Amino acid sequence: MDLNGFLQEITQKDGVSGYEKNVAGCIFEAFSPYVDDTRTDNLGNLIFFKKGSREGAPRVLICAHMDEIGLIITKIEKNGFLRFTSLGGFDVRTLPGQEVTVYGQNPVDGIIGFKPPYMEKEKEKNKSVEMENLFIDTGLSRELADQVIKVGSVTAIKRNFLTLLNNCRAGKALDDRAGVAVLWQCVKEMSQINHEAHLYLVATVQEEVGIRGAVVSTYGISPDVGIAVDVCHGDFPGAQEYEVSPLGKGPVITTGPNIHPHLAKGLFDAAEEYNLPYQKDVSPGPTGTDARAIQVSLGGIPTALVSVPLRYMHTSVELVTLEDIKVAGRLLAYFTAGLNSAFVEGLSCL
Amino acid sequence: MNELITKLCQSFGPAGREDKVRSLIIEELEKLHEKFFIDTLGNLVVTKGNQADKKILVAAHMDEIGLMVTFIDENGFLRFTNMGGVFKNILTGMKVIFENGTVGVIGQEKIKEPKELDFDKLYLDIGARTREEAQEKVKIGDTAVFLASFSQEGRRIMAKSLDNRIGCAVVIEALKRLSPLNLPNGVYFVFTVQEEVGLRGARPVSYRLKPHYGLAVDVTRVGDTPEPEFKTSVSLGKGPAVKIKDSSVICHPRVTSLMIEVAGKNNIPYQLEVLEKGGTDAGAIHLAREGIPSGGLSIPCRYIHTPAEMVDLDDVENSVSLLVELLKYSW
Repeated sequence: MDLNGFLQEITQKDGVSGYEKNVAGCIFEAFSPYVDDTRTDNLGNLIFFKKGSREGAPRVLICAHMDEIGLIITKIEKNGFLRFTSLGGFDVRTLPGQEVTVYGQNPVDGIIGFKPPYMEKEKEKNKSVEMENLFIDTGLSRELADQVIKVGSVTAIKRNFLTLLNNCRAGKALDDRAGVAVLWQCVKEMSQINHEAHLYLVATVQEEVGIRGAVVSTYGISPDVGIAVDVCHGDFPGAQEYEVSPLGKGPVITTGPNIHPHLAKGLFDAAEEYNLPYQKDVSPGPTGTDARAIQVSLGGIPTALVSVPLRYMHTSVELVTLEDIKVAGRLLAYFTAGLNSAFVEGLSCL
Repeated sequence: MNELITKLCQSFGPAGREDKVRSLIIEELEKLHEKFFIDTLGNLVVTKGNQADKKILVAAHMDEIGLMVTFIDENGFLRFTNMGGVFKNILTGMKVIFENGTVGVIGQEKIKEPKELDFDKLYLDIGARTREEAQEKVKIGDTAVFLASFSQEGRRIMAKSLDNRIGCAVVIEALKRLSPLNLPNGVYFVFTVQEEVGLRGARPVSYRLKPHYGLAVDVTRVGDTPEPEFKTSVSLGKGPAVKIKDSSVICHPRVTSLMIEVAGKNNIPYQLEVLEKGGTDAGAIHLAREGIPSGGLSIPCRYIHTPAEMVDLDDVENSVSLLVELLKYSW
C-alpha cells in the first residue's frame, strides 16, 4: 500500500471523538509490519513501539490524533427526525445537505435537512444557520427510529475521498488523519535507517473535544521528547499571508512558548541538512494541538509541533497535498534518527 | 433520607469551604462505623469492598456555587465575584449568607439596558453603615452562599445546592444499603471538593487512588420545561440519567453499557443524557494517570445554579437503586 492508498483508507473509515475503534483497526494493520510492539490504553490511544539500537537511549513520542469531529444525537422528534449536537467544533455553515451515517444498533444512512430558504420568514433571512435548527432525516418514522437509534448515537459525516490535480487530496477527517499518514511515512522511513532512540508512535483519541487522549498517553509513555503532528490553516483567496501556510511548500514547524526552542532548532537543522522544504509558524500561547497536553505532562516534557498545511478545516472537504505529508514524515524520521542522549541532556540547558 | 437531604442542602459549603458539609457526612459515616480519610485538598474518602479486585471510584461533589467578597467601600457596601457558574441576572434582591451567619442582600446599580448588567453593577448590602462596621463581620475573600428555604410539594423538592448535595445523599444512602454486603469490587466512595470551580478535587484524588473505573454522581439539566434554555431529552421524574457525554467527558462505552444493562435487569427506569454544556467530576477522573474508563449517573434537576433547584424524589430513589445494583455487580 502506498501513501495515497493509506490516506484514502483511513479517511474513509469513521472515527468520531470517543468512538475511534473503526479507524484504529485500520491504522493498526498498516503500522504493524514496521513496529516491535503495539498496545491500546484505557481511553483507546493506539501506541506503537519501535525499539532503538541502544538500551537506555532517549524515548521519543510522536503523536497524531486519529479522531475526527462528528455529531451525536440528542433527541428523536415526533416524526422520527433526529436532533443533534457536535462532538468537536464543526463549521455549522457546511452541515446542511451533508450525507451522514448514524451509528444506531446498526449503521443508518441519513442526510442533514433544514428549512428551505423560500419558506424563511423575513427576520430569518440572511442569518447564518444554527445547529439547533438542523436535523437528520433517515426516512424512518418515530416508531422505527426508536428501535435502532438512541439519544447518544454517534454520527459521522459521509464523504468520498477525492483525488484532485497536482497531488491534492480532499475529503473528511484529513484533520488529523493527514497527521497519522505522516507518522506512517515516518515509521516506514525509520525502518530503513539505524536509530539510537526508542520511538513511540501514538494515534491519539479525543483531541477534537479537548485534547484528552494525549494527556493520558503521554503519562503512560513518560517520554524524554514529545512531538505532536497536526494540521494548520492552508492558503486560500482572501487570507492574509501571515495567517496561513501555503500548500506544497513543506511541513510547518512551530515556535513559541509551547515549543522547546532546541527541538524547533533541531527540526530546522534537519530540514536544512537533508534539503527538505519547510515553513515556520509562531504560536503565542498553548497550541490547540496535542502539544499543549504533552508539554505539561509529568514533570514537563520538551515538546515540538509539526503541521501539514490544510485548507477548509473542520469541513468535509478538507484539502492537503501528498507531498507535504511525505516530506513531514521524512523530516521526522531524519530528525529522530539523529537524536541521542547528548541532545536530550542539552534540552535542560536553555 | 429526606431529613438528610434537608440538612445537606441547608448547610454552608461553597467551593474551597466544604468543611460543614463534610462534617455532616462524617456524622453519617460514623453512625455506619465506616472508616474514612480526608486528603490534603479536603476530599473525603471511604474505602469498601474487595480491594483485591477491580476498584471503582464513585464521586459526588460536596461544594456549591457562591460569591466571594473582593472589596468593601467606605459606606459598608461589599463588591463580589462569582465562585462557579452564578447567573448574574437572577441575583438582584437575593439574600446570601456567610459562614459566620452574616446575612446580606444583593443590590443593583442603575443601568440603562439589561445587557449592561454585570457583576460590577451589583453589590452586597449586609446592613453595615461604615466600612469598619462591615469589616467586623466580613473580610475580603470571605465567601457566601444563597440563603433559601427548603420546600417540598408532592414528590418534588425545591432547595438551594441540590447540585450536588442530592448526589451526596444518593451516595450516602447507597453506602447504607451496601454496608452489610460483601461487594465483589473495591469501591472508593469519594465526596469531592471544588467541582464547581473546575473539577479540582476529583483530579488529585483520582491520581492518588488509581481506580480502574470512575463514576460521577451529580445532577443534570432537563429539557422538559416551557421553551427550555438547554436542549436535552432528559425529563424530571423519568428516572436517573445514564450520561453519554457532557462538555468534560465522553463516557466510556464499557461503563454506559453496564449501567444500561443493570438498570434493565432490575427494572429501574433510566434516561440517556447528552449534555451540551456543563461538566462533572468524571471529566477529571477519566484523565488521571493512564486514563480511567468513567461514566456518570445523573439526577435530573430543574433550575440548576439558582436558589430553588428542583428534583423528583422518585428519581432520587431510583438513582440510589441503580447505584446499589451497579456496585453489587462484578465490573
